[in-house]
Amino acid sequence: MVDDELSLVFSALADPTRRAILARLARGDATANQLAEPFAMTQQAVSKHLKVLEHARLISRTRSAQSRPCALDTVRLDAAASWIAEHRRVWAERYDRLDEHLAALRGERETGHGR
Amino acid sequence: MSETGELTYTRVHDASPELLFDCMTTPEHLTRFWGPAGTTTPVDGITVDLRPGGTFATTMVSDADGGSYTMRATYVEVSRPDRLVWVEGDVEGGMRTTITFTDIGQGRTEVVTHQTNVPAAYRSAQARAGFQTSLDRFDHYLAKIKTT
Repeated sequence: MVDDELSLVFSALADPTRRAILARLARGDATANQLAEPFAMTQQAVSKHLKVLEHARLISRTRSAQSRPCALDTVRLDAAASWIAEHRRVWAERYDRLDEHLAALRGERETGHGR
Repeated sequence: MSETGELTYTRVHDASPELLFDCMTTPEHLTRFWGPAGTTTPVDGITVDLRPGGTFATTMVSDADGGSYTMRATYVEVSRPDRLVWVEGDVEGGMRTTITFTDIGQGRTEVVTHQTNVPAAYRSAQARAGFQTSLDRFDHYLAKIKTT
């Protein structure tokens, strides 16, 4: 995933309402009307959020059906999650090797002192 | 600190803050552990000009194909043995890495690596929403969404 796409995903996720919409969609597809209900929001406001989510490709909407139900699209979520995991992994491994290096230094010092 | 969009990584090592700080800032040490896995970081490819504004660069060479990748950063803060900060200007939005070394007694040191490396758009979106979180929490959140 290129940085730009990642920016779109993180930017879309930065809004609490949009995160709540995604959480709702994780339980199953829903129409814009159904999504608007728990938030006491206008249809227009929901529609704006859905556009952002769709643009970040976090959701997909059926083109054919009249109600155009929204579905969670997990590909980008997976990519964002693995991007985070990858950064953590690099640091984890780096510090693992640092531990080994420190142990080697201790070993050298101890042998040096004839222990 | 009020930075947003952070990744925090905490580890405890059996060494003094001074030694850990030196490991992070000496080519002869760095070459032994910098990594990442599957690469080597030759000592002559490491530049450490240990002062604010000085260069920190490492060239990682792939074990598999010999391809290399150079990470080029600029030190922002050099406070031995407590704190080390560098910024990678090449990365869009300026990836900032802050490492703090805290003596927790009995020869042990807690090393906290704090990285603000999220894309700029995310940072500004967060600022607009007045919403602060960390990548770690996003990680949890993403995991939660997927298991709901």
